[in-house]
Amino acid sequence: MASSSHPSAPCAACKFLRRKCIQGCVFSPYFPPEDPTKFANVHKIFGASNVSKLLNEIAPHQREDAVNSLAYEAEARLKDPVYGCVGAISVLQRQVLRLQKELDATNADLIRFSIQDIDF
Amino acid sequence: MTLKGGTSQACAACKYQRKRCTPECALAPHFRPEHTEIFKNAHKLFGVRKILRILEKIDPSQKTEAMRSIIYQANMRDRFPVHGCLGEIYHLQYQIRQAEKELYAVLSHLHFYKQQSPQQEITIDSSPESQLGMGLQQSAANGLTLFQHQQQFLPVAPFFDQSYNNNNHSGIHFDSMSNTGNDGMWLQQTYCNQNDGKTLVALQSQLLNTQPWTIQEEVTHDYDEIYPFFDTIDDTQSYIDSKDANESSSESSLKETTQSVQHVAGNKLKRAELQLGIVSEDYQATV
Repeated sequence: MASSSHPSAPCAACKFLRRKCIQGCVFSPYFPPEDPTKFANVHKIFGASNVSKLLNEIAPHQREDAVNSLAYEAEARLKDPVYGCVGAISVLQRQVLRLQKELDATNADLIRFSIQDIDF
Repeated sequence: MTLKGGTSQACAACKYQRKRCTPECALAPHFRPEHTEIFKNAHKLFGVRKILRILEKIDPSQKTEAMRSIIYQANMRDRFPVHGCLGEIYHLQYQIRQAEKELYAVLSHLHFYKQQSPQQEITIDSSPESQLGMGLQQSAANGLTLFQHQQQFLPVAPFFDQSYNNNNHSGIHFDSMSNTGNDGMWLQQTYCNQNDGKTLVALQSQLLNTQPWTIQEEVTHDYDEIYPFFDTIDDTQSYIDSKDANESSSESSLKETTQSVQHVAGNKLKRAELQLGIVSEDYQATV
């Protein structure tokens, strides 16, 4: 993902950190200058150096997904400092359990109904 | 390193940082001395300063819960370095979609049976399990209404399925959100509204292009203890089950999922939702 049409435009990370955006900047493909909030959030929650270390441990073709998931989690944590994105997981898991119970009950009713149908 | 004048061990945080653990240590209540691996994960993702900053902004009564969520998030990132918690959200949403499709199909079958033999009464027993399918006490159509009602409660991670998003921007509430500060719909608002779907479309295409994450990226570790977080959060079993299931059919199911998501992007999303609405209206009308 190109950070900008202008070849020397610093990425959002380097802009935020007020440093020179060098050629091989690890952040520049994933934090375009047009979206400064994304990096600001990630930096606020995780810190630039942690993110940099994480990205360096991940294969290049997966870094974009990693950055996007970090951005998601950072924003979730900013909105909900107590639970962050884990709150959504909790809700979804309960939803899955509830649906499964309902599915089991509905299947049981279907079987009962079909048995009655056979009896007739 | 020991506490001053005492025989207690330093907490895992101070041990890791090789510093004296004082009685005022903010992290000591959350990281027992044996939780070295857990602290290591939290430190790797957040760092001590960020953790403390998060805790500072929280009401003291909620610090334990906040710390648990931080630990959970860090452990998930350790197990799934690329997607972290978001991978679990994707997976759960996929499970929900599958369950809803199946429920819809079963309800349709019931409706068919009801049409075939309208003289029969559905005999419902009074067990709690059947009461959960309470729509069926009246008719299969009401069950379908219940099914639609539940759809509205889905918190939607920004990238996964747009088809549930469109009319759920307001008036969303969860039936039991007492242990969360807010509902999850703001996530959808952030990524769908503010970016006019650009981020969503871009990320959908990324989802299509990325390799099946559930197979490749899990890094297994043995933790001495993982805090029992929420009672309902099961981060071990769900991964064992999901990993097994996904290993058998992940690539095709992921492609199917991502293709279906991509297919309903943009205007097609609204059409899909309208179709669902029309089908349900027709369904109700025929009962």
